[in-house]
Amino acid sequence: MEKTEMLTEKEQRKILFRLLSYTKPYKKDIILAFTFLLITTLGDIVGPYLVKIFIDDYLTPGNLAYKPLLMLGIAYMGIQVVKMFILYFQLVKFQELALFIIQRLRIDVFSKVQALGLKYFDRTPAGSIVSRVTNDTEAIKDMFVTVLATFIQSGFLLTGILIAMFILNVKMALLCVVFVPIIILVMAMYRKYSSKYYLGMRERLSQMNAKLSESLMGMSIIQVFRQERRLRNEFEDINNQHYDAGMKNIKIDGLLLRPAIDLIYTFGLIMVLSYFGITSFTASVQIGVLYAFINYLDRFFEPVNQMMMRLSLFQQAIVAGSRVFKLLDDTSLAPAQIVDQPVQIGQGKIEFQNLSFSYDGKRDVLKNISFTANPGETVALVGHTGSGKSSIINLLMRFYEFERGKILIDGVPIQGYSKDELREKMGLVLQDPFLFYGTVKDNIRLHDESITDEEVKEAARFVQADAFIEKLEDSYEHKVVERGSTFSSGQRQLIAFARTMAANPKILVLDEATANIDTETEEAIQTALEKMRRGRTTIAIAHRLSTIQDADLILVLHHGEIVERGTHQELLALRGLYHKMFLLQNGSVERLEDVVN
Amino acid sequence: MKIFLDLKWFFQQEKKAYISGVFLLLVVAMLQLVPPKVIGIIADEIKEGTLTKGILIQWILVLAGAGIGMYTLRYYWRIMIFGSAVKLSKQLRNSLYQHFTTMSPAFYQKRRIGDLMAHATNDLSAIQQTAGAGVLTLVDSLSTGGFVILAMAFTVSWKLTLICLIPMPVMVFLTSWFGTMLHRTFHKAQEAFSDLNDKTQESITGIKVIKTFGQEKEDIEDFRRQSEDVVQKNIVVAKIDSLYDPTISIIVSISFFLSIAIGAKYVINGDLTIGQLISFTTYLGLLIWPMLAFGWLFNIVERGRASYDRVAALLAEKVDIEDKEGLTDEVPSGDIQYNIEEFTYPGENEPVLRDTHFELMQGETLGIVGKTGSGKTTLLKLLIREFDITKGQIMFGDKNIRDYKLEKLREAIGYVPQDHFLFSATIAENIAFTDPTVPFSQVENAARLANIHDDITQFTDGYKTVVGERGVSLSGGQKQRISISRALLMNPEVLILDDSLSAVDAKTEEAILSALKANREGKTTIITSHRLSAIQHANLIIVMDEGRITERGTHEELMFAGGWYKEMYLRQQLEELVEHGGH
Repeated sequence: MEKTEMLTEKEQRKILFRLLSYTKPYKKDIILAFTFLLITTLGDIVGPYLVKIFIDDYLTPGNLAYKPLLMLGIAYMGIQVVKMFILYFQLVKFQELALFIIQRLRIDVFSKVQALGLKYFDRTPAGSIVSRVTNDTEAIKDMFVTVLATFIQSGFLLTGILIAMFILNVKMALLCVVFVPIIILVMAMYRKYSSKYYLGMRERLSQMNAKLSESLMGMSIIQVFRQERRLRNEFEDINNQHYDAGMKNIKIDGLLLRPAIDLIYTFGLIMVLSYFGITSFTASVQIGVLYAFINYLDRFFEPVNQMMMRLSLFQQAIVAGSRVFKLLDDTSLAPAQIVDQPVQIGQGKIEFQNLSFSYDGKRDVLKNISFTANPGETVALVGHTGSGKSSIINLLMRFYEFERGKILIDGVPIQGYSKDELREKMGLVLQDPFLFYGTVKDNIRLHDESITDEEVKEAARFVQADAFIEKLEDSYEHKVVERGSTFSSGQRQLIAFARTMAANPKILVLDEATANIDTETEEAIQTALEKMRRGRTTIAIAHRLSTIQDADLILVLHHGEIVERGTHQELLALRGLYHKMFLLQNGSVERLEDVVN
Repeated sequence: MKIFLDLKWFFQQEKKAYISGVFLLLVVAMLQLVPPKVIGIIADEIKEGTLTKGILIQWILVLAGAGIGMYTLRYYWRIMIFGSAVKLSKQLRNSLYQHFTTMSPAFYQKRRIGDLMAHATNDLSAIQQTAGAGVLTLVDSLSTGGFVILAMAFTVSWKLTLICLIPMPVMVFLTSWFGTMLHRTFHKAQEAFSDLNDKTQESITGIKVIKTFGQEKEDIEDFRRQSEDVVQKNIVVAKIDSLYDPTISIIVSISFFLSIAIGAKYVINGDLTIGQLISFTTYLGLLIWPMLAFGWLFNIVERGRASYDRVAALLAEKVDIEDKEGLTDEVPSGDIQYNIEEFTYPGENEPVLRDTHFELMQGETLGIVGKTGSGKTTLLKLLIREFDITKGQIMFGDKNIRDYKLEKLREAIGYVPQDHFLFSATIAENIAFTDPTVPFSQVENAARLANIHDDITQFTDGYKTVVGERGVSLSGGQKQRISISRALLMNPEVLILDDSLSAVDAKTEEAILSALKANREGKTTIITSHRLSAIQHANLIIVMDEGRITERGTHEELMFAGGWYKEMYLRQQLEELVEHGGH
């Protein structure tokens, strides 16, 4: 549950204007839509006027000249038919505009998300980022489609009606203008109270739902501790509060919404009738004008009702807008590259020099790390959970920015390479091979259209994933659903390998899977890994020490420091931490007993 | 319309509100006829020049009366009808909650919490709609429509009425047809939106992969394509949605045109007055809403019915763990004896426990160890009767656990589950979960025993710190210790720690275990653990594997026997060394 923050009037206005600024690129369409709107509004207003002419000029005097009447009739229906078509286009246009605007906003938000650094993702739950991109923009769409369109249309109609009234009878029109401030007052009152009560109800609702979902999650605890009755009472309490809030809303709606507007309408009617009645005592009154006024009055109040009903949507859109803009304004961007002149990674020599790093600025997770991986060599990182292995990879992959120490590739600081160069020459295989929705081929190629089908197959063959892929239904076109849950973890890993190989990187970064891999694919994976490493500088995190026995250098990390370094044999001979870790994985009971005692 | 029958019980319960609400609606529908009539009369009087001050004032008072009357009555029927509907959803929500509390874990295994939540929110709101807006549209469209047509036919002209009504069925037909189309395309648009949602979710979860392969631009392009799809499908919706207004507008215009054109003829012939014609056209305006409402009604009712069926099915779900008849209020105490031949979870085929027999004397400590999925937790769940044993029994004291009331059995047991769930409440409230009225000193005492008191006092709000989903985030170890204190506050006959020390360090574990030993003399404790140090001092240790006991004895006996237990013990000792950097 997210808290509903209260926004000041000024902030609300700012958000509204910023939302409106998204309409800028659509000036032409907007002008078109407004032209349509103007025409339909005219149609709305001319109709009663024609009836007025009919009543006053023909019906009352009993003058039923055939031709003019036919013309009048054709004009009336003609206008209605034209209005019908234009109205249709106008409605569609406004909705289309709203959709385009939201589309732009959505892409902006999504692009922003892509530009953010991993730091942002660490502190923001995925669910709430998704909400920003989709649900919040959807709420803003509602505002553009229903609220803004209704307000603009209603505004046009109201102005049109007032103008028509002035043309018909200035005095009467002036009297009707008196109702405008009254309506505005009622609207303001409704907005003030309803937003308060509405917010109250929403809050109760979210409390109630939170209570319910929490109770469902903790039901076994409630039952084991025999607290069913107490919790039931607590829930009933909140439920009652929600009920009370709901009743308050019904009352406010009843007092200030449609019934109130209808009451004002009745008073408007009384005024029109009294005016014409009193005038009739001294002068003659055109019944047609009376008719037209009453008709206009009728139409005058419908848009008001429409606007009132949309007020709460407006409020929600503003809140959604404030959340979206907060994300758009976030400054925790991905680390930047400083490229003076384009350099390319040639041999792939990696050096870490006195590197220290902290995620939170308080506790160092890496302390003074230095090592060199020569071209084509494999450096393995081992250590307990939290020893800093993954941080080394995170920095090498430029997921996070660092300030103390250096990372050099071919002697050039890593910041000096362009992003594209780094992505092209460095391949990372993640611990959890993430598969996207799409086909197996899509997952290997991963949007890179320059990789041909043949190269995809080549890559699969290279990591020996071809055997199982070809057995799949539609083989490379096989649909990957639900993050690849239909594959075994080993198969997922192989697809991820193929993905990396298709990109043919110079430097390989491996984060070995901790999960148990079925023995069937285990062997394929080992062979694939060995082949992949050949000719590439490799930095590998190893959980199973057996896989890195042939590494050129093994670094043993503990609490962010390199505590032991050397080859497998050297480290075993040292009989230190590495030796113990190795025994833990491979030792017999007797040898364990030796070490423990 | 079957839903209205299904809801009969509620309409009966709220008889008064519904009857008076419907009555008020009818009165309002009749009052609505007044203004058009008055307009017609005054128009005629003006035309004839017969209007006097007296007549004008009289009719204006009638109008004002009708206006104020409608305002008041509209306010009250809302309270009656909408109020009752809110009450219905409140009542059903309470019933659902109560029902949820009686359901056993077997029920929760079958259902996802999200689905249950959807029933309690979306379905209830659909039912509320039916009992409120549904009743309103039904009554209002029938009464307003009926009264207006009657007024037109009887006070103006039945012939003109018939003529003007001709286009109306076309409107009803067209709008309901649009409704069906809209429903279908809207569904597609919703699907496209939910695909976009999935895509976003996927991109965010896979952000590392995207960044690794430098695919940000391509992914944005992909997103653009998908959101384009959403736009296209929504435009289809918009194109249908936009059909409503022009259609209504043109048909109303035709009706209107007919009424003026043909009405004019009647006026010339002297069959009608101009005032009557004006009244007539105003009545026509009142007819639009009931026509539209009818189409809408079917929609509401259909949704309400589907939702009501779902909620009713949920409420009809049987309670599967129940007390036998005629049990006493005895709280069990004494030795515990497991004699389980076989236990299979409901809906599964493979038994998870087989031939599990052992006895635990009152006051002793039992340690249960074994791999994940070996049946350790199941053993505990059977004791607290989250599930009933399929073959065999557990004796507690001198009786089968099924011969105690469920509530009394659980009164004897303090359970600390594996997933240390805390509620969104203060720490003190979480610890005093079983009895919010206990003196604070007891809460503190329980916290001390679980070695969490010092941590709590470090927080700014101390025991008043709010935890849980919406509160401060605690470390796993802190949560575990709070849930241990929650169980300890009961001072239970049997304390069960289900792998509840996994997230605390060795020193804290040691401290908690010795505090328990000192304070729970004569009381039984059952501990399952992955870490053997937690059960090393137990009176009896059983090793479970694939639902059977494979080794049993004290620590010394098991170490001597040299089986799985010994190997595991040594391995864990070494792990401990590695964690500390090898020293």
